[in-house]
Amino acid sequence: MQNLGFAFAIDPALRRLYPDRAERLEALRRHLGFFNCHPYMASAIVGGAIHHEERVAAGLEPRDGPLHYKSTLQGPLAALGDAFFWTALRPFAGALAAAGALLVGWPAIAVAVVLYNAVHLTLRAGLFQAGYAGGDAVVARIGALNLQGLADRLRAGGAALCGVAAAAVVLSAERAAGLAGAILAAVSAVVGYLVLARGAGLVPITYAAVIAAVSAAAVVLHLGGGG
Amino acid sequence: MAYLALAIVAGLAAVERKGFLQAMLSRPVALAPIAGWAMGDLRAGLLLAAPLELLWLGAVNLGASLPAHEALATVAITGGAVLSARALGTAVTADVALLSIVVCAPMALVGRTADRRVERWNDRLADRAEAELAAGHPRTAARTNLRGLALPFAVAAVLAPLGAAVAAAVVPAVVHALPSAAAPLRLGFLAFAALACATGARALRVRSAPGWFFAAFAGALALGLATRGVLS
Repeated sequence: MQNLGFAFAIDPALRRLYPDRAERLEALRRHLGFFNCHPYMASAIVGGAIHHEERVAAGLEPRDGPLHYKSTLQGPLAALGDAFFWTALRPFAGALAAAGALLVGWPAIAVAVVLYNAVHLTLRAGLFQAGYAGGDAVVARIGALNLQGLADRLRAGGAALCGVAAAAVVLSAERAAGLAGAILAAVSAVVGYLVLARGAGLVPITYAAVIAAVSAAAVVLHLGGGG
Repeated sequence: MAYLALAIVAGLAAVERKGFLQAMLSRPVALAPIAGWAMGDLRAGLLLAAPLELLWLGAVNLGASLPAHEALATVAITGGAVLSARALGTAVTADVALLSIVVCAPMALVGRTADRRVERWNDRLADRAEAELAAGHPRTAARTNLRGLALPFAVAAVLAPLGAAVAAAVVPAVVHALPSAAAPLRLGFLAFAALACATGARALRVRSAPGWFFAAFAGALALGLATRGVLS
C-alpha cells in the first residue's frame, strides 16, 4: 500500500514538472512500484525523489534515477525510523504521558503528546527539506543526527519512567488497602517484569496476574476484615 | 448514540494509527480519554489511559509484522466500562474498569487478525491504480490511496462497539452476581496497572533498561513514602 501513498504524495510535484500528460503518466507509473519505508522517514525519500525528478525533467539524469534513489534508501531509512521513532521516541512519550497522568493528571498527557508531535513533525519537515535540497546528501545529514545513540538514551529514560509509574501505582495501592495492597502491587510489578524477561507472553501473563492478584486481594481483605 | 460515538472514535483512531498523521492520538494514553469524553465520561478514560498505554507500549508496527490492535481494544474497553457503569448506576470504578479490560482486551488480537485481512484486501488497490493509469487517469490513480483508509475505519467502527456491548452485558452481570468481589477487583486493578508498568519497561529494548526500571521504581517509591501526601 505504501507505493500508493508515495504516488499520492509526489503527484502534485509531478503535475508541475511534467506538463505533458504522457510524461506525467510515465513518471507516476515509476512511483507506483514497490515502496516500503517508515512513514516518517519517507519524508526524506519524497523530498529526494522530487529532487531527482527535477533533474530528470531537466534532462540531467536518466529516468530511472529517482527509482535508484528510492530503492537504495528505503530499507536503511525504514530500519532507522523503526528503531528511533517506533521503539524509542514514541514509547518514551507514552511512558512520559502515562507516568505523568498517574502523578499529575491529564495535563501531562497533553504535554507529552505535544512534545512528541513537535519532535517528529520538525524532523519530518527537516528530512523532506534536506532530501529535496540535497538529494543523496540527505544520508550524511541523517547520519549527523546520531539517532541511534539518542534512541538508546530515550529507551533508558522510558524504562525509568515506567519505574516511576510503578511506584505511583504502589503508593496508590498503599492508600487504598494499606501495606498489603502496596506489597501486592509491588510484587505484581517486580515478578511481572522478571517473568516477562524470561519470555512469557503478554496475554497469558496478564490474565494470570489478574487472577492471582484478585485471589490474593480477596484473601488479604478477608483476613483483614476489609472484604 | 453512545455506540455511534464509539464507532466514530474507533474508526478515526484506526485511520490515524496507520494511514494518516500518526500523531499519537490513537495511542491508548490519548485515545482512552478521547473515547471517554465522546461518551460523556472523561474521568473513565483517564482512569484507563495510563495502564493501557503501558500494557501496549511495545505494540509497534515493525516491518511486515503486525502488532496487537491497541486502539481498537482501548475504545472497546473504555466504552465497555462506561456502558457497564451506566447499567449499574454508578461511576466507572476500578473494579468495573478491570472487568472491562478482562472482557475486551482480546479485541486487540481480533483487531490484529482483521488488520491482516484488510492489508490483503487493500493490496488490490494497487492493481486498480495501475488500471486507472492505463486508462489515462493519473489523478484518479494517485487518489486510489485514499480508498485504502475506508476499510480500517469500517472494521474498527464495527468491532469496537461490539466489544463494548459484550462488556456492557457481562460486567454488570458479574458485579451483581459477585458483590463481595468488588473490593478484591479494585485492588486487582492496581496490581494490573503495576504489571502494565513492568510490561512497558520490558518493551524498551536496551541493555540498561532493567537497571533504570528498578532503580527508578525504588527511588520514586522511597521518595513517595518519605514525602507522603505530596505526590498524591
